Amino acid sequence: MELILALAIGVLVGSGVWLMLRPRSYQVIVGLCLLAYGVNLFIFAMGRLYVGAAPIMPKGGFVDPTAYADPLPQALVLTAIVISFATTALFLVLMIASRGVTGTDHVDGKERHS
Amino acid sequence: MINTGVAPDHMMIAPILIPIVAGAIMLFYNDRNRQTKLIMGLVAVGLTFLASIELVSDVKSATEQGGTVVGLYRLGDWPVPIGIVLVLDRLSAMMVMLTALLAAPSLIYAAAGWHGKGQHYHSMFQFLLAGVNGSFLTGDLFNLFVFFEVMLAASYGLMLHGSGPERIKAGLHYLAVNLAASLFFLIGVALVYGTTGTLTMADIGRALYWLDDAERVLFHAAAGLLGLAFLIKAASWPLCFWLPPTYAAASPPAAAIMAIMTKVGIYVILRLSLLVLGPDAGPSAGFGAPVLMIGGVLTMGFGMIGILGTPELVRKGGYLAIISSGTVLTAIGFAQAGGGSLMLGGALYYMVGSTAAISAFFLIAEPVSRNDEGDDDAPVEDDGFDPLSERWAPMGLGTVEDTTAPASQRTVSWLTMSICFSLVAAMIAGLPPMPGFIGKLAILRGAIQDNLSTAGYLPMELWVYAAMLILSGLGALIALMRFGIRRFWAEEGPAPRILALEVVPVVLLLGMIALQTVRADALLGYTRDTARALLEPGVYRKAVLAGAQDVRAAPVSSLAPDPAPAPDEAPEAEAAAPETRPQPEPAPAAEMASPETQVNP
Amino acid sequence: MVEQNLLLLLVLTPFVSAALAATLPIGARNAEAWLAGLTMIVALVILGVLYPAVTDGQSITGTFEWVSSVGLDLTFRIDGFSWLFMVLVAGIGFLVILYARYYMSPDDPVPRLYSCLLAFAGAMSGLLLSGNIIMLVVFWELTSIVSFLLIGYWYQRQDARDGARMSLIVTASGGLCLMVAMIILGQIAGSYDLEAVLAAGPQITIHRLYPAVLILFVLGAFTKSAQFPFHFWLPNAMAAPTPVSSYLHSATMVKAGVFVLLRFHPALGGTDLWFMIVTGIGLATLLLGAVIALFRHDLKGLLAYSTISHLGLITALAGIGTPFALIAAVFHIVNHAVFKASLFMAAGIIDHETGTRDMRRLSGLARAMPVTAALAIIASGAMAGVPLLNGFLSKEMFFQATYVWNNGSFLDNFAPYVAVVAGAFSAAYSLRFIVTVFFGPPATDLPHEPHEPPLLMRLPVAILVAICLAVGIFPQQVLGTWLQTASLAVVGPDLPHFSLKIWHGVNPPLIMSMIAMTLGAVIYLLPRRVIDSGEDGTRIMRKLDFAHGFDWLLQMLTTRLPRLALRVLSANGLQAQLRAMVLLSLAASWFVLRTLDWNVPMPKIGANELVFALLWLVGGTCAVGAAWQAKYHRFAALVLMGGAGLVTCATFVWLSAPDLAVTQLLVEIATTALLLLGLRWLPKRDKEIPGDNNLAARARRSRDLLIALACGTGMTALALAVLLTTPGASVGDWFLRNAYVEGGGTNVVNVILVDFRAFDTFGEITVLAIVGLTVYALLRRFRPAPESVERPRPQLDAEEQALEAYLFVPAVLMQWMFAPIIALSAYLFFRGHDLPGGGFAAGVTLAVGLLLQYVAANVRWVEARLTVLPVRWMASGLTISAAVGAGSWIFGYPFLSAHAQYVDIPVIGKVPFSTAMLFDFGVFSLVLGAIVLMLIAIAHQSLRVARPSDTGKELK
Repeated sequence: MELILALAIGVLVGSGVWLMLRPRSYQVIVGLCLLAYGVNLFIFAMGRLYVGAAPIMPKGGFVDPTAYADPLPQALVLTAIVISFATTALFLVLMIASRGVTGTDHVDGKERHS
Repeated sequence: MINTGVAPDHMMIAPILIPIVAGAIMLFYNDRNRQTKLIMGLVAVGLTFLASIELVSDVKSATEQGGTVVGLYRLGDWPVPIGIVLVLDRLSAMMVMLTALLAAPSLIYAAAGWHGKGQHYHSMFQFLLAGVNGSFLTGDLFNLFVFFEVMLAASYGLMLHGSGPERIKAGLHYLAVNLAASLFFLIGVALVYGTTGTLTMADIGRALYWLDDAERVLFHAAAGLLGLAFLIKAASWPLCFWLPPTYAAASPPAAAIMAIMTKVGIYVILRLSLLVLGPDAGPSAGFGAPVLMIGGVLTMGFGMIGILGTPELVRKGGYLAIISSGTVLTAIGFAQAGGGSLMLGGALYYMVGSTAAISAFFLIAEPVSRNDEGDDDAPVEDDGFDPLSERWAPMGLGTVEDTTAPASQRTVSWLTMSICFSLVAAMIAGLPPMPGFIGKLAILRGAIQDNLSTAGYLPMELWVYAAMLILSGLGALIALMRFGIRRFWAEEGPAPRILALEVVPVVLLLGMIALQTVRADALLGYTRDTARALLEPGVYRKAVLAGAQDVRAAPVSSLAPDPAPAPDEAPEAEAAAPETRPQPEPAPAAEMASPETQVNP
Repeated sequence: MVEQNLLLLLVLTPFVSAALAATLPIGARNAEAWLAGLTMIVALVILGVLYPAVTDGQSITGTFEWVSSVGLDLTFRIDGFSWLFMVLVAGIGFLVILYARYYMSPDDPVPRLYSCLLAFAGAMSGLLLSGNIIMLVVFWELTSIVSFLLIGYWYQRQDARDGARMSLIVTASGGLCLMVAMIILGQIAGSYDLEAVLAAGPQITIHRLYPAVLILFVLGAFTKSAQFPFHFWLPNAMAAPTPVSSYLHSATMVKAGVFVLLRFHPALGGTDLWFMIVTGIGLATLLLGAVIALFRHDLKGLLAYSTISHLGLITALAGIGTPFALIAAVFHIVNHAVFKASLFMAAGIIDHETGTRDMRRLSGLARAMPVTAALAIIASGAMAGVPLLNGFLSKEMFFQATYVWNNGSFLDNFAPYVAVVAGAFSAAYSLRFIVTVFFGPPATDLPHEPHEPPLLMRLPVAILVAICLAVGIFPQQVLGTWLQTASLAVVGPDLPHFSLKIWHGVNPPLIMSMIAMTLGAVIYLLPRRVIDSGEDGTRIMRKLDFAHGFDWLLQMLTTRLPRLALRVLSANGLQAQLRAMVLLSLAASWFVLRTLDWNVPMPKIGANELVFALLWLVGGTCAVGAAWQAKYHRFAALVLMGGAGLVTCATFVWLSAPDLAVTQLLVEIATTALLLLGLRWLPKRDKEIPGDNNLAARARRSRDLLIALACGTGMTALALAVLLTTPGASVGDWFLRNAYVEGGGTNVVNVILVDFRAFDTFGEITVLAIVGLTVYALLRRFRPAPESVERPRPQLDAEEQALEAYLFVPAVLMQWMFAPIIALSAYLFFRGHDLPGGGFAAGVTLAVGLLLQYVAANVRWVEARLTVLPVRWMASGLTISAAVGAGSWIFGYPFLSAHAQYVDIPVIGKVPFSTAMLFDFGVFSLVLGAIVLMLIAIAHQSLRVARPSDTGKELK
């Protein structure tokens, strides 16, 4: 389980990084999204993994923490998701605006001369 | 005024709330009435400034009674480390005040027409202030991330304000770089939580003592990634390439207020490296200090090269910001490696002065290098005709054909400009008797004093640092003088039209700088006490963790038996800790105790 | 106390009147002159009053606090030496001002000149009087800055600009060296107080940092007083108006260097190192200056080099450092100031009246202006060291010093010969000056007809020459006591008794100067024709032109190299920057993690996890596929990315985090829809990008592939490492235990978001608001690329046709589904506190509902049916959350304290209602507003294309 999740994070981050280093703005934005997935999973994993634990606690009374997934990383992930969504949207708009003013979708606003 | 949450001092959250609320209220108004928003903005900044004065006087008065003082504000009234806590100490109070001081001139400058070049300038501006102040005040790592994002998002908005190809191109890079940086930040935070199980900065410092080797290594990895993210914000070489183009493309008032943002990165590095990895951090003590030293010196060198090598004035401003960052970073590195507090105090004084100077520089750079077509910044497609104007209307967006009319038409002479420019240049080059000079003097003297008195000679790295301090100043002097001679002496022809509104802010900042010169002793005393406090993280930690909640505590009204006694004192909590932790050797506990018990003289 | 205030007054008065002078009208020459002259007279009077207090070795010190914490205090101290110097500064200053009144032409902006002159006098006084070595540096730099303004007075002229720049760079850099020297000096001496430092001489000279300090110190002094090899800036500074030159380069600026040399002799002097450096450089400069001076045709050029050489003389004396040598140094400082000032003025008069300073054109002026000629001849006699003139006496003393003093070193034995040769050359150039300018046939081709200047313009020269004579003839009576006082301050109590006499009988010095005189005459008169006719200097001198060398070096160091280095050291492209970041992070992580030992047992993949493994097989494939397709098949990449996102959601479900799953899913949808709306603005990619498959591109790709692989592995390792460590007690446990009791909700995650860490949420929604505004502002100015505008709707590129087809059925469905979506969002909102959901989820749901309408149907159809006011929604959302948070203040609790447990409303009684839900409503409203705003902004762009004809109509 841990191994699979770690591998999954690795794959997401790897492909994300590769895309992030590409010259086309669209590649970069896709890359950033993939990276965001990877990072979110990573944050989530920091609370360790609980398969099939009840997500919602019973009303009232004392509960044994070891039976539940650590909620804090989940809260962090939620915040992270929202923020990354916002910034992705901004990047998207900036991307099309840049394409509009520069006429190319190269991240540097001009094609590489080589 | 260590408040225990009984009577929370709401003044602490004012610097965050006032701007946010002001920005939100502005949104109710149509963006057409920019003058109104300007007034509101100025009022908000004024209130924030008053609040910051209150905060500073709080910390100061309490210090005069002896001991270092840390104020707490437990949001949602949740105890540390459960909830988010705002922490006020000398450093954060000072930075908040500095922010307020830089904000007003930038706003006034914007009234010269810039705030009319796009939408919702003033709301963005307020949100930026909120983000900056939040980053200064928060004592929670993840909350710091959130406020970084607030600050960054607002800075994207301000930086892109006015649109146009240059801004959009630079903005794309700026955005991409910072998104990547934020990812580093997130990974770092996650790792910190995964290893220490807490997010409160002070608590991290405590939990660090209980980590076994593997966890400690992971924690160091987290520290490395976080440091990287902050170094990107602080624009340390080779992570600073985004800065000059971004600041050059941004509109002057935006760049002027963004001058504080690099300092936010520096602030966080200063805070965390000394609080968590400070001299008393056991095996982790001084982690990353060499990086800061070497990186800082390299940054200064790069900044010097840049300011000499780049032809256009506005970019020079960017490199000036880089130089200033490098200077302070190196000092932090020395301090973390056990250097004395005098040097750090000098560096803090220098930081205050140079930030103001750089802000003024960004404000004056555009008018000075302006050629006579008024401002050549009017976006190409800005023909006042928006084919979609009627579409926005039903959305309550039916507004704002952009109006770049200045609030006042008064102009000033070219001579005035030249005088202002040379004063700013003198300040930046560190010519006496400007604060730049006093700051560098204080740094050098502190460094030499600490080493000469103890070692009797000066280590190599100190010579290098001193040389860089002198050289970077000289480089700035030569570059700016060359420009000034060419612009003010060599060039014939009519002087451009400069609005009074564009000079008043610069004069304000210069007045602030002059004040720093006259009252240098007071300010320097303050920064030195600050440095001394920073080098005793134990006091800070103790103050924050006083009455901390033991995370194993059961609810008050719990029916179930309570595994661990729920003590309210941090040290006892540690005593209880070994039940669930791999038993740590007693040594760290001793180390733990020592910094906690020592109290500021 | 009176004296202390007088001291302060001495420094402040010039600055004050400088400020006054700057404000006077442009033309007011007389007013300026009066103001400045009075200032100098005031200074002189004050000095007169102070004299009794500085005789026989006493001194006055007054301290005014400034930055005591760095030892930077306004300490002013006057003793005999600085007193004498001050008299020079004020006295010659007065004469210069009088002279300038007539020298400057009416159309020169005199206020600038006079205010700068006064400011300079002030800076100089500060430098002379500062009793704190750091203050001394401060004023030192101040003199550099003001002299920059003075030299650049005629800034329209290129040479003035260059001269000013050069002098500032050289002297200011020297000043910085001096600053470091002073700081270290102060640390060694344990105080920045001048007297303490001077007293600490012994322990300074034995300190291990002494050599470093000395080098830095002399760098400062030598740059200032134009010693070899920094002498080149002085001749270039001759572009300044003559009054300025005669002030700066006779009495004040350049003398500052020798001043500190003499001043700090007690602290730093007396060692062999000191002797070798200072005397060596001094002699070298003495000789070099004298030789070059002979070959200059420009009057001021000649005087400039002679100044350099005389400064060398004084430096050499300071280096020798015997009491006698020091007395000689002080004496020569005075003499040189007097005759050089008068000579500069005379040169100025000649320039002023004839219009040229070129000695090849000037000739026989003795007839045209006899009086001036007489004065100039006497003055240059003093410069040459002719008996009965003051120059003679101090030069004799110099010869004496070089002759007698003896530490046996080579340099010491060598000194007398250098002295004689230099003396010969100085005699030669003085002779040349006299002969060529005043004798011979009257010059014919002068710009103006030469005639005597106005009396008052000649007066200063006359006074100075009179002093030359007086000192020359009655040295002891005129200057003896003052010199006594001054030397006492420099040498200290063990000052040998001396008396200035003209005739010491026939002794070595006399013989030496006789030799020098005759030799000088020979040197000039024999090759006279050659010297007069030739160009400036001999070929060798033109070859080693330091000024050009310096300019070249400066250009190299401050322009070319930086440009080059900047290109090498900085990366402008985005990819390079990101690559640098990624590589650094890799390096950092590797550096830290390499010490980690991996002897933990690798977890096996159990049978029940096969599904999960399969799931991620798909997910991974999607991710890699997206990475692979993103360049040429954007739509495919988008779909694949969505796939990866869905698998992530599934993972969250699997790992019992339903909230994440819900939110991730919603955000997923929103992102995809936005991307769909954005896709159409990107350029078509149906053909390959040129040069996309050449070697370089492949190389880049494979390199990045390696980096990416490294990152992937690194993250895997990191994640695994954490997952395999046992978690300690974390804050999370507390939440699980106490969420219900304290937070009143069973959905811990949601309770954390709206209560425990509500402040995060508060910030997060602010981010959302800002981004919404930014997107909107940006798109108001949006300019689509031409071809995507011209593209008529029917022929959208393949991707979008695919999109249309793909979305046709949904389009209908979604219009039907809108109402249910609203219901769903309401449901999500209300169950939030106990079950997965909450304000954010609700907001996104509703927004997505709208958004889907936009994607599916056309914009007008949607907007005809519903109007939202997004900015209002955002504003109220933010305000509500803030208000809810602040509400808790009323009850004396901090911001954002939830009040479910604390408050019950009077009339209705206790209601099971947490204020957290109100806060959540704020979140909902803001999220809705922000997302809808972005959506509208983007969707509207399609209208720019779809109905270009509209815009025309709508205008009317």
